[in-house]
Amino acid sequence: MCGIAGRILASPGRVGRELVELMDAQEHRGADSTGFAIYGVPRDTGYILRGMGFDKSRLDEEMAQFRDILKEHGSDYLEEPVFVTDHNPHYCVRMVIKDPRDVAGWIFDADKLAGHFEVQSCGRSLEIIKDVGGSVDVADKHGVRDMIGTHGLGHARLATESSVLPNASHPFWARPFSDVAIVHNGQITDYFTWRERLMRKGYRFLTENDSELIAVWVSDQIKQGLTMEEALKKSIPSIDGVFTYMIARPEGIGFAKDRFAMKPLVVIEQDGELAAATEEQAVRRVFPGECDVINYDGPSLTGIWTVGNRRMAA
Amino acid sequence: MSAFVIEAGERHIRDVNSDIQSAVAEGQEVVVTNTLSRHNLGIGLPAGANVRFEGSVGYYCGGLNDGATIEVERNAGWGLAEGMASGHVTVGGYAGMSAGAAMTGGTIHVKGDAGPRCGVAMKGGNIIVEGKIGYQSGFMAHSGKIIALGGAGSSCADALWEGEVWVAGEVESLGVDVVVVEPSAEDVAEVDLILEPLGLKDTSRNWRKMISGQRLWYFESRDANAWLMI
Repeated sequence: MCGIAGRILASPGRVGRELVELMDAQEHRGADSTGFAIYGVPRDTGYILRGMGFDKSRLDEEMAQFRDILKEHGSDYLEEPVFVTDHNPHYCVRMVIKDPRDVAGWIFDADKLAGHFEVQSCGRSLEIIKDVGGSVDVADKHGVRDMIGTHGLGHARLATESSVLPNASHPFWARPFSDVAIVHNGQITDYFTWRERLMRKGYRFLTENDSELIAVWVSDQIKQGLTMEEALKKSIPSIDGVFTYMIARPEGIGFAKDRFAMKPLVVIEQDGELAAATEEQAVRRVFPGECDVINYDGPSLTGIWTVGNRRMAA
Repeated sequence: MSAFVIEAGERHIRDVNSDIQSAVAEGQEVVVTNTLSRHNLGIGLPAGANVRFEGSVGYYCGGLNDGATIEVERNAGWGLAEGMASGHVTVGGYAGMSAGAAMTGGTIHVKGDAGPRCGVAMKGGNIIVEGKIGYQSGFMAHSGKIIALGGAGSSCADALWEGEVWVAGEVESLGVDVVVVEPSAEDVAEVDLILEPLGLKDTSRNWRKMISGQRLWYFESRDANAWLMI
């Protein structure tokens, strides 16, 4: 059991604060880890990176190595790294980098550090914040409530398939596709098989978490020429297990539900804005008045919600 | 006598339920306001209790009902009246997944649609849905009746035991080991008797009565392939 949430605003606003509310209302579904994917106002150039190192005593050394790899790919810091640490051994970092010559080529090399330091999101607008602990703790630690954006995802994790580790929290970035993030409620039973297939195509997975697969799987299908809608539909007979997942891109959020209708999804849409969550009581935190609630309770459902007048590109 | 008003809001649900139990023990009718789709409202209410929830409620509302009359103004979340022994639960709008799961008696009346697996593993009582029942409704129902007046989703009445699923309107597809039988006049009269007090009797309905094909009752592992759905 996990709790997931999505939020779309009509114009850039306090999406961080509202996602924290949506997750706080669902903390009973899993409080071992919490994470957020927030889409700010897109940059024209440069990528925002969020990352995590697992031993803060090695921070200086690892950042030097990381910067060397950036430079090898024609990139460097545009904004100096900002670190967040606490009593835990791991550290979190945010930075803005100049465009590398090729994102996929650069992240392939940067992932050589992945046992010690990993990039957890890369995008013109996407930032993924994840950590162990409940929503309020994670929000306080990382200043999530102050983050401004158009849309985003939230996740409260109750680990069932792999360990509780700060980097095994959701959301997951669809490595190496910039600006793509996912949250998932459920269990993927054939993830190991799919992971092997995707790894043979050159994709990399940094955790043992089954959900990391979905973001890459959907993005790979889109790379092969499917539209987002087609990829979401195809995932239902292709990926085995129970799931309701949401996948976000700069244009909006898509979702898919498994064939057995095992996991909930509740949505309120009003005046070009939208809140989606596992539980109705969460979306009511954002829309407290009585309003029409859409229960996506049925099997094999998909949908796409776009931000403002953006269109979901193929 | 005017009803006793209890506000749910952000209060601890145990306190809200405790207030409801105290009020009904004193013989008062109860209205619960500002429900905010919260879970576990009105659990284990006794016979004679009369509780109305304004707005929408979350999961397991009216669970383990022991004879109370419960009304939900708008929608109910998953597991409405789960494990109910007796009583009458009315939902003005939509009832989510697994309404009436494992109930052993009493009546659920849903004025809108019901979600998937309505009446899953029910062991008695009746569920009446004025709209459509969702995917796999009646799954493994041991006894009792599910009556849908507005059609049924796919995999209807999947793996029924001795429960019955009655549908007026379109059935998207049947589940495994289900047979559709022609109901006798006595059967229809029995269903009409359930619908009449709700003001829903209509003799012009074209019923599809679904019961178990009874082949799954004697399941043999060597036949597993015949039942494999995935």
